[in-house]
Amino acid sequence: MTEPTSEVSAWSSLVIRAVAPLRDAAGRSSVTLDAFARKDVSALIAACDKLEELQVSADGNSQHDALNIIGAIKGYAEMLDEDADALHPAIANTLAGIVSATSASPSSKRTQSVSATGKVSATVTNLSEPGVILAVDDMPENRDLVSRLLGKFGHTVITAESGEEALELLETMGVDVVLLDLMMPGIGGAEVLKHMKEDERLRATPVVMISGRQDMDQIVACIQAGADDYLLKPFNPVLLQARISAGIERKRWHDREEQYRQQLERSERFIRATFGRYLSDDIVSEILESPEGLELGGDLREVTIMMSDIRGFTTLSEHLPPQKVVQLLNRYLGKMTEIILDFRGTIDEFLGDAVLAVFGAPRKGDDDAERAVRCAIAMQEAMKNINEQNLADGLPELTMAIAINTGTVVAGNIGSERRAKYGFVGHEMNVTSRIEDIAKPNQILISASTLDKLPASYEVGDSQSISAKGIKENVVVYTIKGHGGD
Amino acid sequence: MTETTANKILLVEDNQINRDMLVRRLTRAGHAVICAGDGEEALQKMRAEQPALVLLDMNLPIKDGWTTCKEARADTSISHQAIIALTAHAMENDRQTALDIGCDDYATKPIDFPDLLAKIAKFISA
Repeated sequence: MTEPTSEVSAWSSLVIRAVAPLRDAAGRSSVTLDAFARKDVSALIAACDKLEELQVSADGNSQHDALNIIGAIKGYAEMLDEDADALHPAIANTLAGIVSATSASPSSKRTQSVSATGKVSATVTNLSEPGVILAVDDMPENRDLVSRLLGKFGHTVITAESGEEALELLETMGVDVVLLDLMMPGIGGAEVLKHMKEDERLRATPVVMISGRQDMDQIVACIQAGADDYLLKPFNPVLLQARISAGIERKRWHDREEQYRQQLERSERFIRATFGRYLSDDIVSEILESPEGLELGGDLREVTIMMSDIRGFTTLSEHLPPQKVVQLLNRYLGKMTEIILDFRGTIDEFLGDAVLAVFGAPRKGDDDAERAVRCAIAMQEAMKNINEQNLADGLPELTMAIAINTGTVVAGNIGSERRAKYGFVGHEMNVTSRIEDIAKPNQILISASTLDKLPASYEVGDSQSISAKGIKENVVVYTIKGHGGD
Repeated sequence: MTETTANKILLVEDNQINRDMLVRRLTRAGHAVICAGDGEEALQKMRAEQPALVLLDMNLPIKDGWTTCKEARADTSISHQAIIALTAHAMENDRQTALDIGCDDYATKPIDFPDLLAKIAKFISA
């Protein structure tokens, strides 16, 4: 009156495999659950752990336990599924597979397959949409039977009379479920299965094995090798249909998940392309990895702000043809971008020939001010090379002024849901702009607050005090003469 | 005669994982549930707690469900309590035997929960 050990073991394998996607989803930090659901999911996974333990020790008692535990897993999955709408989709999407795996008792399969077929037809419920089925069997009468039965339910049935033919058809046809006879001359069912699991494109296609009762051990091996389900010959038409439906369902879930994954990949590419232009690579990765990374909002941060511009560029551009202006600008901005990102600065904006960059956001460093100053020195040095190239191309010489200031600003994704950018606002931004106004060509002017953060090795010139509209207190600024340490 | 507690269900199941799950689902469906892990404990609780309904697993340690059911039916202090047998397999024999020894109904494991709730509703309301 107990189940043959191998059948319970095969069923357990099916259930353990069906729980794997849930385990996966629940382990992801981005997947959130309310306390009740979290508890039920944990209980389900703990039950599955126990089932795995029992798989290893297979005495008679553990079989009884295994059946009970499968029942418990079914119960938890159904309960979670009742509230599927309130669950994270990554969790909800795994439940149908678990319910299906835990509901397919091999013992009920056996009782049903020997009972009158007319009686069980009432159990045909929850049929999936029609799909494309590949039926592989060396016996023509079996192929005909399967074609007829599944055709009646609206499925498209393709048949293959050997493993070789099946693999050929799989190459070219989009198949939802493969119904695979275990015993065939030439390439047998187990080998076809192995080929499919090794092929990335075919790996996700569900496989239902068909065999006689005497081949149960090989069926167990096939399930361990990745087959999704099995049917014993002679099979019951209703069960055949049920297995196929479950397979199609699984395939559809997989396809949807694949679609979702591709969508995520696309949006990740978009984020990289958009943010990558003004944030360094490691910061883009950081934003992508934190789930809240793209939320609008902001925080107060102490940063070092750098503004640079080309002196007299507006006048210059009026005397040049537009193409030359663009050529000049791109050469200059291209080089400056490269240098700023090298020094882990965040480029906030290009305004014509002016560059606004910030050091210390989104990621704070210990040496934000010093990096900004070293970056400015490198930028001024790079101008020599840019001007050599300009000279060679018959373009005018450029001179740049840079202002640096350290202070507290609001940093965050500023804008609307549709258009947002990581940006900065605050009084200190305006102060920097005022310093920039008085900076002379080839000069680097820094505020006293930036100087405070620098090591003593930097040489500065005399201080000068500036007052400007909208700034209450005078700002003391210094010229950077160079880095004594270099 | 002792009054039975209107809604209380005694769940007798030795497998703790399955028991926890069933308690959770039954409670969620609005039932008050107490538990026992074997037949002996089941009889004690039936006497002491007077549940309205007993969900009795047939495959139990110490004293199995069959013996427990027979003894419950022979004890007039608890014989009025409804018993739904839980049998592990869809066996025609088990089903008939359960009814023969005095169970009011039976459900097969793994439990079809909506079906079980419908059977429970015949005896008590949530």
